[in-house]
Amino acid sequence: MTPPLSEKELLLMLNNPQTQRQAFGIIVQQYSERLYWQVRRLILNHDDADDVMQNALLKAWNNIGSFRSDSKLSTWLYRIVINESLDFIRRQKNITALSTDNELSGIANTLMADKYFDGDEAQAKLQAAIALLPEVQRTVFNLRYYEDMKYSEISKILNTSEGALKASYHIAVKKISEYFKQHD
Amino acid sequence: MTNEEKIIAEKLGKENPFRVPEGYFDHFAEQFMNELPERQVVVPAHRSRLKVLRPILMAAACLCIAIFSITLYLNRSQDVPEQTPVAAANTVDETYMDEAADYVMLDNADIYACLSE
Repeated sequence: MTPPLSEKELLLMLNNPQTQRQAFGIIVQQYSERLYWQVRRLILNHDDADDVMQNALLKAWNNIGSFRSDSKLSTWLYRIVINESLDFIRRQKNITALSTDNELSGIANTLMADKYFDGDEAQAKLQAAIALLPEVQRTVFNLRYYEDMKYSEISKILNTSEGALKASYHIAVKKISEYFKQHD
Repeated sequence: MTNEEKIIAEKLGKENPFRVPEGYFDHFAEQFMNELPERQVVVPAHRSRLKVLRPILMAAACLCIAIFSITLYLNRSQDVPEQTPVAAANTVDETYMDEAADYVMLDNADIYACLSE
């Protein structure tokens, strides 16, 4: 098994039209799993997450020329993937508008019935509670809680100040813990 | 880690409850690259020069209007004559000459004829 290429090596290959496609293939190979889990935590459903991944990576491919090496390749990819996921969520929200209580139990029940969800009822409710957070809180919570990502890195992905992100994360944690205190 | 974070972590952990179909990640890159079309170069939309200059032009227009208005206002206030002794004397002279011309029944043409002689 060949070791993963460094970002510098990948960028050199991307800048050469002869090796550009090959380089993008390596990028998909190296980053797709990490990116997929981020999408999946936002989208919840596998088929939708797969669609969002395909669209996001296609956008990355078509816009690879606009990538500036002043940010990390992974940051740029995360940004595209998260924006695509949030666009998808906004479109879905316009289609299904339910009350918060119905929504929470609805999302939890859907997850419990999903063959690609292995969690118990409490985990389904946690995912539902996260899904009902405003989009910035939801994204920050997922990146920080599940991926232990640094605020400085999240700040680059979401183009938001670290202070605002810390506040968003704190509010998100408080909302979720309060929900579980109430339902104990 | 805050107290709230601890409550969530203790109760629910950080384990990923989601699963994917078997072999999904093994084939994802290969399948995606097989279906990937040739790159469509996205040309960033160039803003026309007029669009770029529009705010500057608008600011310049506002400045011109302001300068024009101030100049006009200052000129008007300067146009109102102050009655200096010389100006008053001139006014008196002109009034006197008009009355005198009326009295001798001279019109402008007669006066010019007189002056040319």
